[in-house]
Amino acid sequence: MSYKETTQYQLIVEETLVQELKSKSTQAQAFEVLVSTYKERLYWQIRGIVLNHADADDVLQNTFIKIYKNIDGFKGESQLFSWMYRIATNEALSFIKQKAKMKGITNVEYQEKLVSNLQADVYFEGDEIQLQLQKAIATLPEKQKLVFNMKYFQELKYEEISKILDTSVGGLKASYHLAIKKLEQYLKKD
Amino acid sequence: MIVKQIMNKNNKHPFKTPESYFDSFQDKMMEKLFEDQCVIPKDNAFKVPANYFETFNARLTGRLNKETKVVHLYPVKKIIAIAASIAAVMLIYLGLNWNKAANEINFSDLANTDIEAYFENNELDLTPYEIAEVIPVTNTELSDILNSPIENENILDYLNENINDFEDLNLQDDE
Repeated sequence: MSYKETTQYQLIVEETLVQELKSKSTQAQAFEVLVSTYKERLYWQIRGIVLNHADADDVLQNTFIKIYKNIDGFKGESQLFSWMYRIATNEALSFIKQKAKMKGITNVEYQEKLVSNLQADVYFEGDEIQLQLQKAIATLPEKQKLVFNMKYFQELKYEEISKILDTSVGGLKASYHLAIKKLEQYLKKD
Repeated sequence: MIVKQIMNKNNKHPFKTPESYFDSFQDKMMEKLFEDQCVIPKDNAFKVPANYFETFNARLTGRLNKETKVVHLYPVKKIIAIAASIAAVMLIYLGLNWNKAANEINFSDLANTDIEAYFENNELDLTPYEIAEVIPVTNTELSDILNSPIENENILDYLNENINDFEDLNLQDDE
């Protein structure tokens, strides 16, 4: 199946799911299907931003609760998949901002703190180079960080990332290659 | 004879490629080439507890049920609460009328710090275009927004801290 055909197929499946989610009689079952289909993908998107498992779990639950409560407001102008990804990304970024504000430090300082906690994290089994990589990612500007995680680790297509982040494919490619260049420089330096 | 028929029908070869194969070929090849030479590990080393995803649905349903509590048709507590709030409103109304002039609240009563705190703590979700519609750029001076002028030193500090964003902008402009 080509990318265009897959997208077409996805749209039909999503449209049916959205209809079922909006109808009270089919809502519970449809939501179960929605959660089962997207939980892993959304989890990795969130985990890439908040870094530790407990926070990722918290944000993932909040994301699905928000989706459940707002499904009537979903107008179908974007794909369900990109709409949910956008909610997950915004939830994770707001989570970071709130935590930083509560601690009275900047977002960057908070993220540096998160990376330094990774060494003691039982759910991070990285070697020295993987830890260095996380340190390097923390130094990237927000947009480059998101694009890198989505492209490199989650292997999303530029077209998909473009719909989620509302950025042109050209701009995304530029951000991605710039991110790669900076990360390589950082890793080679150490 | 058959060969001649085929030749007449189509002088091109019968092979086809998937749709937009050549459009994405370069990207795929460059990615492969990059992966071969890349020093960046492909695994981010993040793990999840055993059975985390298998048990997620049940935990989420539990939390959703807690948040959307069952509402009774004739809730006694609710009726009492409504009666109490009507009584409270009456009392406040009487109290306000008793001493009306002293208790009127105006916009000017709001402290600037309260307004700033509201904007700071609430996501307004306005796009730059929506903001641009409300604020007339041509008639706006920096002094309308700021009480004290920005020092050159502060501008330099900001540029130093946010230099990455500017690299981004340059690169996208060049495209």
